[in-house]
Formats: sequence, structure tokens, C-alpha cells
Amino acid sequence: MAEVLLSIKGAEVRRGMGIVLSSFDLQVNSGDIVVIHGANGSGKSTVIETAARLLPMEKGQVSHHQHLTLHSDGRRKKPIKPFGLTLQSNGVIGSETIENHLRTVAALAGKEVDLAPLLESYDIQHRTQDIIAHLSGGQQRKVAVLAGLLPAMVCDEPTLVLLDEPDAGLDDAAIKTLTQHIASLASAGHGLLIASHNPSLREIGTKLHNLEAEKTGVVNTAEPWKTRGQPTQTRNILFRTGHRYASSTHAGLARNGLAALMVLGCMLALGDPSILPSGLWQTGGILAPAFASGLAGDPTSHLMQEARANDWWRSQGQRTPSALGLGVLIGGVVTAGACYVCIGEIEIMLVLIGAIMCEGTMGGVRLLHASTQRLARPNAVFIRLLLPAFILPWALIVSWAAGL
Amino acid sequence: MAGRSAEVLLGLGFAGIMTTLFLGFQWAPSVAIDAFESPAAQRIFYWHVPAAWAAFIAFAVLFTGSAMWFFKRSPLGWRLHVAGAEAGLACGLIAVWSGCVWGAAEWGTPWDWTDVRLNTFGLLTLLALFLVLGRQSQPDGVESRDTFSTFGLFGFVLVPFTYIATRIWEIRHPGPVVGAGDDGGSLSGDMAIVLFIGALSFTIFIIGHILISMRITSLEQRLEQAQHHIDGGK
Repeated sequence: MAEVLLSIKGAEVRRGMGIVLSSFDLQVNSGDIVVIHGANGSGKSTVIETAARLLPMEKGQVSHHQHLTLHSDGRRKKPIKPFGLTLQSNGVIGSETIENHLRTVAALAGKEVDLAPLLESYDIQHRTQDIIAHLSGGQQRKVAVLAGLLPAMVCDEPTLVLLDEPDAGLDDAAIKTLTQHIASLASAGHGLLIASHNPSLREIGTKLHNLEAEKTGVVNTAEPWKTRGQPTQTRNILFRTGHRYASSTHAGLARNGLAALMVLGCMLALGDPSILPSGLWQTGGILAPAFASGLAGDPTSHLMQEARANDWWRSQGQRTPSALGLGVLIGGVVTAGACYVCIGEIEIMLVLIGAIMCEGTMGGVRLLHASTQRLARPNAVFIRLLLPAFILPWALIVSWAAGL
Repeated sequence: MAGRSAEVLLGLGFAGIMTTLFLGFQWAPSVAIDAFESPAAQRIFYWHVPAAWAAFIAFAVLFTGSAMWFFKRSPLGWRLHVAGAEAGLACGLIAVWSGCVWGAAEWGTPWDWTDVRLNTFGLLTLLALFLVLGRQSQPDGVESRDTFSTFGLFGFVLVPFTYIATRIWEIRHPGPVVGAGDDGGSLSGDMAIVLFIGALSFTIFIIGHILISMRITSLEQRLEQAQHHIDGGK
């Protein structure tokens, strides 16, 4: 009997104030290719994003592998098994290389795999080490589609794959490869839910859903997918990915380091910081650059605004990559520099306080930032208005440190 | 008359606030010359204290509305949230501004970043500003309402914190003079009358403000529904 990979029951979902899905039911079993079709704005992407736990529901529930993952009462649980997802946006930051991105996706499924034949099938094997931003729009889409298919491609067990307009921007050859891959994966027992207008994809659908009713499509006779991945460790993947994002773009240096240098520069512009009265003012001057650095926030939070990378990661788990620990490093270095400028020597205790303060502030700003990610325009919201909340703790720490 | 009650309340409140200003500056007795560093500046309290009181009422409305939307998805709750945020911002800014004026005269500095009362109240006002600006920057929808309601709920944690701040950590901001438990506080009768008129006026003003704001939000919602209907939405 076919395993139920995805079950959406009685879903009511709003986009803005309009109800897009109402009393919507859908089931994807292993071996299914369910193609959702319909006019623009009819709710195809809403179904995919609801299945991926990205949208809150007014009513109903979503289950992966018969385990609840999203409920209208607010419960949102990490799926018990990995699943593939390609959003309408590519969901990857431009500074990632193709290889790093796809290896990370495979690692999230607990596997590693030889990527060469897969990249070759989409004619992008020669760009393996290139960063995504250097690819054409169509090539970027190929990477996003491969990332969506990869969990199924590397897993032995039936895996759910959600693809939102995967064919958008692909050339004819790539669409042909895509349809072959989809059919093969379904033959191997994986289940695919695809939102698309493309006739080629509708032709291979074993079930066709127009958001009102479902009808049976063709029988899938494709050769089952044979490639399998090898088990790999996935420990600290969020930590490693976050630091790779930060280091590949030098965002930590550019955002946080620069904020600290600006504060130090402003102090130097006003005069000789070494003549600051000892005690509160001197300690405040020494710790101010680390504080400013922390207020700039986690650099990965800003990077992941690109191409809905944040949403892609949110769908995969409860947390997103972050440069945890970067604040300790930056805070420590800039406090050491400020110590040298202000008192002519490096006070280990102050360096330690600066490092912890920078990391703590960065973590707080990260939390504020994360709290607005469900908004339609998270970049347009004025979350930084709440940053003065950090001033009182900073002032209290400074006055405590001055007394040491 | 019933349809214009909000405007009437707003007008009455405004007139009362202006009267308070006049009485506070012209009629209320002066404090003892040694009571403050800058005794004359104390008169701004007749505006500052009622404004802060009205801001707390608005923040309570904001919290109630946020809770009603978050837990019940009540449209009335969302209107209360919007009205509470706007009224809280208006009165919060009056309280912060007047407090800064007094602080500059009395303490020699308009703001003290280490005073818990000042910071928590300032943060509440910033939260109201964040909610007002944030709502304007986002398309109206359940996601934005949920997010802003969450901030409204968490923000209210600051209210009791702000209230008790001067009782626990009196750093710069003076402690309570009304209802402080010392036989009616340190206010003379005339001072108390002016302060009472101020509190009443600001309360009436804030109620009128909230009612008008709720009406505007309701009209915005009707307009959006009409537009959605024209666009062929469900």
C-alpha cells in the first residue's frame, strides 16, 4: 500500500485579507505526481507554501508522513523526514557556490552524493564552483530545481518533493530532463506535488488538481530513479552554513566590523581617547565599538533576505543558519583595539566583556529580526526602532565594568 | 449626536487639556522654592503626568486589542490594536517631550539612559511608533496582524515594569506623589485639582482619539473589502 507523504486537510489559508484556500484537501502518496494547475492567483503557490509550513492556516492541518507538521492552532513541527522544496524564488543566496549549496541540501537529508552526473544532466557541470550570482537566470533556476529534487534523489525512503513553477525560465532541454527526473523519482516511490502551467509537466501527472477537484492523470511507466546518496553527518549544519554565508561575503567584517570602526573613528575624531576620565567614561568608550558592532545584527540574517533563502530554510526546520559566535570574535577584537587606543594596553577582562556583550546584542537583534520574517515586506518594517532597548543593559554593564 | 460622540469627546478633551495648560501655568500654586532645583519647571507636570496616564490607558487598549486579535482573530480587536498604538504614540510623545523639558531644567540633562522608568516608558513609545509605522509599511493581512499583535502583547510586559520602576529603582525619575500611601501624597488641594482636571481631560481626549481611530480603521477595512469584491475575490 502506498505511503501517505503529504496530507492537507480542511485548509483555509489567507493571503492578505483574502481567503485563497477554503476547505481544501489534498493527499500525495508515494509514487504520485500531483500537478496543480489553474489561473494566476488561484492559489497554486499557496498550496505549495502551506505544504512547506510557510503560511499560517486559519483552519485545517498539514501532515508529512502522517505526522502533524502544521496546525491552524499554531503548532508547527519539524517534519520527521527531509523533503525537497523549490519555491518560485530560488531560495539561495548569491554568494553560495553551486556545489556548496547542493551539498548542504543533501546534508540536510543526511546524505552526500556525487553531484557531477546530476549537474551534467542540466548542463551546468562546468559551473560547479561558480557562485550562484554569476549564473544566468535559467542556470540559477536549474540549481533551485535540483535542490528541490535532491532530497528524493539521495534518499532510499519515499520522500516528498514540492515544486512551485519549476519550469519557469528553463530551456526545452532542461524541461525534458526535469520531466524525466520527476517521472523516475515517482517510479522509485517518491511523491511529488508540482504547481505548474507547463503542458509537459501536466502530461506526466498521475493526478491533476485544478484547486476545485482532482482527476486521475496518466500511469507512470518511467524507469525508477537509481542514484542513491551515502549517509553523512549533519551536525552543526546551521552553524557551518551561517559562518560560510558570513565569510564568503565578508558580511561580518563589512557590517559589524565597520560599525565598530566607525564608533572608534568618531571617538578619535573628537580628540585623544586616552585622556578620557578613567572610570565610567573610559569604560564606556572602550565598550562602545563592541556594542555598535552587535547592534548591526547577525550578518546572515540580512544575507538570507535574498531570493527567499530565509523562507527556504524556515521550511526545512525550526531554525535558520546564523553566524553564532561571530559576535564574540568581532567584539573581542574591536574591544582589544579600543583598549589599546584608550588606555594603551589590552585589558583581558574588558575584552571578554566586550566579546560577550557584542554576541549578546547580536543575538538580541537577530531575535528582533526573526520576529518580523513572516511579514510580506520584512525589509520595510522599522524593527530598528526598538534597538534603544539595548541601551539600558549596555549602560548597566558599563557602570558595572567601570567598578571592576 | 450619537454619530458625532467621538468628535465631541475629542473636542471636550482638547479644551480640557488647554484649560489644564492654562491653570497649570497661571493658577496652580508654586511649589516651595527649595522643593526642586528648578521649581518653575515643575508646572509642566500638569501636562506630563496626565499624558503619561492617558498613554497607559492607550497601551492597555493596545494590549487588549492585540490579545483579541491574536487569540480570537477579532476584527474589533485589530481596530483596538490600531487605535491603542496611535493613541499611545500621541500621548507617549507628549509625556516624553514634556519629561525631557523638565529633565533639562531640573537635572541638567533631558534624558538619562540609566533610569529604568525613562527607558521603559521611552521604549513603550518607540514600540507604539514601530507599530504605527510598521502597519503603514505592510499590506494588511493576517501575517502582519499576527506579527504586530505579538509585539503588542510582549510590549505590554513593559507596562507593569514601568509602573513599579520608580518604586524599586528611583534613579532620576521621581517616585509617586499621588496615592503613594503617605496620607494623600505631597500635593496641595489646588495642585490636585489641576492634576485631576488634566487627567480627566486627557482621558476624555484619549477615548475620543481611540473611537475616531477605530472608525477610520473600520472604514479602511470596508474600502479594502469593496476593492477585493470588485477584483473578484471570495
